Amino acid sequence: MRTCAKPGLWGLCACLAAGPAIAQPSGQGPFLTVQVGGGLGLVAVGGGWWGGRQRLEPELLVGYVPRALGSRPLFIFTAKATYVAPRPRLELGERAWVQPLAVGGFVNYTAGRAFFVRSVRTGRYPQGYYWWSSAVRLGACASLRVVRVREPGQGFRQVLYSEWSTNDLYAISRASNCRLRLTEIVVWGAGAKAGL
Amino acid sequence: MIPGVGGLRYVLLPLLLGGCAALEFSPNQTWVPPAERNLTAQNLTRLYQTPPPAPADTLRFVFIGDSQRFYDEAEAFVRSVNQQRGIHFVLLAGDLTDFGLPREMRWLHHRLRHLRVPYLTVIGNHDQVANGRLNYQRIYGPLNYSFEYGGTRFVLLDTNSREYGFPGTVPNVAWLRARLADTAGTRRQVVVCHVPPTDSDFDPRLVLPYAAALRASPRVVLHLAGHVHRFSAQQPFQDGLSYLTGYSFGKRRYQIVSLWGRQRQFHLETVTYADVR
Repeated sequence: MRTCAKPGLWGLCACLAAGPAIAQPSGQGPFLTVQVGGGLGLVAVGGGWWGGRQRLEPELLVGYVPRALGSRPLFIFTAKATYVAPRPRLELGERAWVQPLAVGGFVNYTAGRAFFVRSVRTGRYPQGYYWWSSAVRLGACASLRVVRVREPGQGFRQVLYSEWSTNDLYAISRASNCRLRLTEIVVWGAGAKAGL
Repeated sequence: MIPGVGGLRYVLLPLLLGGCAALEFSPNQTWVPPAERNLTAQNLTRLYQTPPPAPADTLRFVFIGDSQRFYDEAEAFVRSVNQQRGIHFVLLAGDLTDFGLPREMRWLHHRLRHLRVPYLTVIGNHDQVANGRLNYQRIYGPLNYSFEYGGTRFVLLDTNSREYGFPGTVPNVAWLRARLADTAGTRRQVVVCHVPPTDSDFDPRLVLPYAAALRASPRVVLHLAGHVHRFSAQQPFQDGLSYLTGYSFGKRRYQIVSLWGRQRQFHLETVTYADVR
């Protein structure tokens, strides 16, 4: 495990490639993520770092939406941070449990000429024509997760999560329309994480 | 599923099932459920199932623009229109959305589908932001189209020139001219768009050719547009043709337009609808 003393994404990849025998599941360290949906892509992959006594999960993800779903391929780059409340915690066995409360936020950027950070920079619009960015989204999320840890040296810490989120434009729409239901502005995603 | 923790299936299964309907890959995805695609064609099918007024009778429709981020008002609008009698359809003159997102188009449709009459739309500039143009095409249909009902040809076209960078081809004046030249089976014509030709978002090089195309078509009764969020009626080209702009949903008002006869005869009635309860 010493090879992962200063881990990053590549360090984790090296550890994962070397096999679980050298990994020490401490709950502190790098992890890899695969997420489906949640507005971050058909599939988003990336990694981050378990820190803050297993309560904080900053991560970076790259998402992809194929042409069949987006009429043009979409690439979404996301920075996300999740806080995992240690309690309540529902034990499912000696080394597995459910943590029903994790909340977080994200900011992402959708690449492509169709999307602008500031409308004026497209050259088509006067200053302030569109006040929002069509490329950058802010979002908030809440998730439920199942965690499984392994014996030291036996494998990786594993997390499955089901996540509900919304973004700034949906929230703004809801803010001025009390009859727009919360179920209309919330989107769903799910993912898995594995790490040291 | 994590092996060896069999009880998890009872936790995860309901979450998965409950979440699939809300699964979203991107706010800009153009995928929508099949039932919510090609709404223009669906609404036209519905319209044609209703017998048109006899040639001597009056054609009446509701005209409004810019539903944008007014979902509460959309519900009140539906309640009000459903109380009207003798209305054949609703015309929505663009800016269905604020941000060009498919979910906004679906939010609107989930409200307007409760209208007792079909609704027909034309694309607005806000509907073209980001993936909006592709969303509109998938959810509603063509950007330029026409239909005939009650002896009247309605020609709806994309006039959002600024969204394309004023290329000199939007609006498509040649297409408009061709649609207006084909008068077979029609007694009158109505042109509908979002950005009126008097607005700075309309390609200035095309203003005069556009107006000339309309002027050359004596069966054009009215030109209807949105974009400015208020009602106006003027004849900006001094050619006898009235150019109207409609209220936005935020104004909680709409027009009932009545057409009859062979001349440029029309009648407007303003309806104010109540606040959302």
